Amino acid sequence: MGARGHSVVARIAVALSLAATLAAGCGKGGSAKQTVVFWQFSPIETIQPVVDRFQAENPGVLVRVEQLTWQSGREKIVAAIAAGKPPDLCELGSTFLPGLVSDSTLADLTDDIQDLKTELLGWDVATYKGRAYAIPWMLGTRALYLNGDLLRRAGLHPEIPPTTWSEFAKAVAAVDAVDPEVKGFGMNSGEREIMFKKFMPFAWGNGGGILDSTLTRSVVASPANLEALRFYLSLKPHSLLDRQEMLEESFIRGRLGFIISGPWLLRKLPGIAPHLYFEVGLMPRPAADKGTPASFAGAEVLGIFRGSKNRDGALRLARFLVREENAMPLYIATGNAFPAASAAAQDSFFIGHPRDRVFVEQLRTAVSPPLHPRWVEIEEILNAELEEAIYGKKTPEASLRSADERINAALKQAP
Amino acid sequence: MNPLRPDLTHWVGAANYARALGSLAFWRALRTTAIFVVGTLPLTLGLAYVVAALLSRVRRGETLFRAAIFFPATLSMVVISLVFKSLYAEEGLLNGWLAALGLSRVHWLQDPRLALASIMAMDVWASVGYYAILILAGRKTLPPEQLEAARLEGLSPLDVERRIVFPHVKPVILFVVLLNTIRSFQIFIEVFVLTRGGPLESTLTLVYHLYERAFYHFEMGYACAIAFLLLLFVGAILLLQRRLLSRAPSEASAS
Repeated sequence: MGARGHSVVARIAVALSLAATLAAGCGKGGSAKQTVVFWQFSPIETIQPVVDRFQAENPGVLVRVEQLTWQSGREKIVAAIAAGKPPDLCELGSTFLPGLVSDSTLADLTDDIQDLKTELLGWDVATYKGRAYAIPWMLGTRALYLNGDLLRRAGLHPEIPPTTWSEFAKAVAAVDAVDPEVKGFGMNSGEREIMFKKFMPFAWGNGGGILDSTLTRSVVASPANLEALRFYLSLKPHSLLDRQEMLEESFIRGRLGFIISGPWLLRKLPGIAPHLYFEVGLMPRPAADKGTPASFAGAEVLGIFRGSKNRDGALRLARFLVREENAMPLYIATGNAFPAASAAAQDSFFIGHPRDRVFVEQLRTAVSPPLHPRWVEIEEILNAELEEAIYGKKTPEASLRSADERINAALKQAP
Repeated sequence: MNPLRPDLTHWVGAANYARALGSLAFWRALRTTAIFVVGTLPLTLGLAYVVAALLSRVRRGETLFRAAIFFPATLSMVVISLVFKSLYAEEGLLNGWLAALGLSRVHWLQDPRLALASIMAMDVWASVGYYAILILAGRKTLPPEQLEAARLEGLSPLDVERRIVFPHVKPVILFVVLLNTIRSFQIFIEVFVLTRGGPLESTLTLVYHLYERAFYHFEMGYACAIAFLLLLFVGAILLLQRRLLSRAPSEASAS
């Protein structure tokens, strides 16, 4: 019924947006205004002031903003494209992008954005075979949260988070030992979409990866990945295995030493757990002289569909939105993701907010998964095999080897 | 058919059906769904029958009990699933009780051997009340004189139940069985909210599999084929159930 509910909502939404487009079409006769339909995920009250400023600067363009929800946004976008009535400009999650690019539903923007190449970070999530299919807007990453009180009880210094794998493993074990009710680390399980996002940072930091640079071959069974998986699984005896949401809840209750999470938790914690003393640190690197403190990089990008009636207006709006001063208010309000504008790192906000600054620093070594038309399948294989390893059904070698074979088989099929 | 590229849609004949029938994931999802149906149906039905029998004996505050029993049916399955999500949580109420009894924690939704059973238990809880009220309604149509006469004949309460009440409510039970079978085969919301098919695909039911194919892999044609196959399966099972269950009373009356 949930699926049916979604599709009904999607249909109504499509009908409404259609009506909006039609109404806009009728309006055209009266004035010379172009209408740009813009779908995005932020609350309207957060985005509207930015859009208002755009309209003040561009009196010829009328923007109709609609908010998508994370629960059903995907379905709504798919339904709108299928109906041939996509919005002009649309916010898209980077994990959703490969499917759209492979079906060439997104317009190739490469020639329109050359000047933005140096101003924005995160182009790799939007680039496929050298062509840019979207504009990076906001970048998200995850870092290491630690419970300061638990670390102190374990005789550690929360102000100095562990920086290497061995320091991290020792700290996790030490925290796990302070109290039977407490676990050292929150390890994701039981949620297939998220496991690779938590494991791959260790592999990337160790020089590992998923696909080779030509995107034609899997490198999942590499020694670097295997070493990382062995390390990751060595944390399991001291870990609580659960879904991300539950891990965050345990952390909030002070029952977990370390979790990996995003900046949204910074906005949440002071309100719901005012007495929790926590710190944020970079992800640990393999050793002081080896690898990088890598993390997972996700992005919110702005895409223009090929069916867009108003490509120029949409592009103008996109260029306006990605500017640092326009993206920063969204970060401050929601804490979901940082502006892709490289100038944002120098924003005065970060001077007064050192924990937010950790995430800015973490972004520098964050890696995004490859943009490949068969990504959804690759991700599914990776998650399934990692889950086998986490639950001890397969050895780390066997699970990576099996993932490698299955991904290579998937790559061989025509896209 | 890819909804993103309707222009690329072309006739594939029965290829999607062949693919489903040859797919390991499809059969695994069907097996999980079948386990769910076979595991919940007798339990739901048995409990509903017992609850209805008890409710029919309640003399005071019947409305209150009836309302309490029926209450879960008024809740959205999403709400029920969210409530059970916190009950089943690592630090949830159930584990709290276990800890109070000195027992170790159970990973209700994180243990691949338990996750499906946990969802089944929730589903039984959520549906017993609804079916109990249906069966109770069936019992109420039994003329009180008949029961009175049976009692005067010296039949024990168990015999009254077995020889008079049960045959009388049998059509309602048949209806409940059919309804619950259809509903159970469609299980989706519970999985979507609680486990997303995991851990280790132990709760990957057919409709959830269908949803993933449609909205993650954009394979609408394939997802539709799965939906049609589900319809055929459910239809076949319903016919079989009807045959089996409606045959019994005619034999009884003949004897």
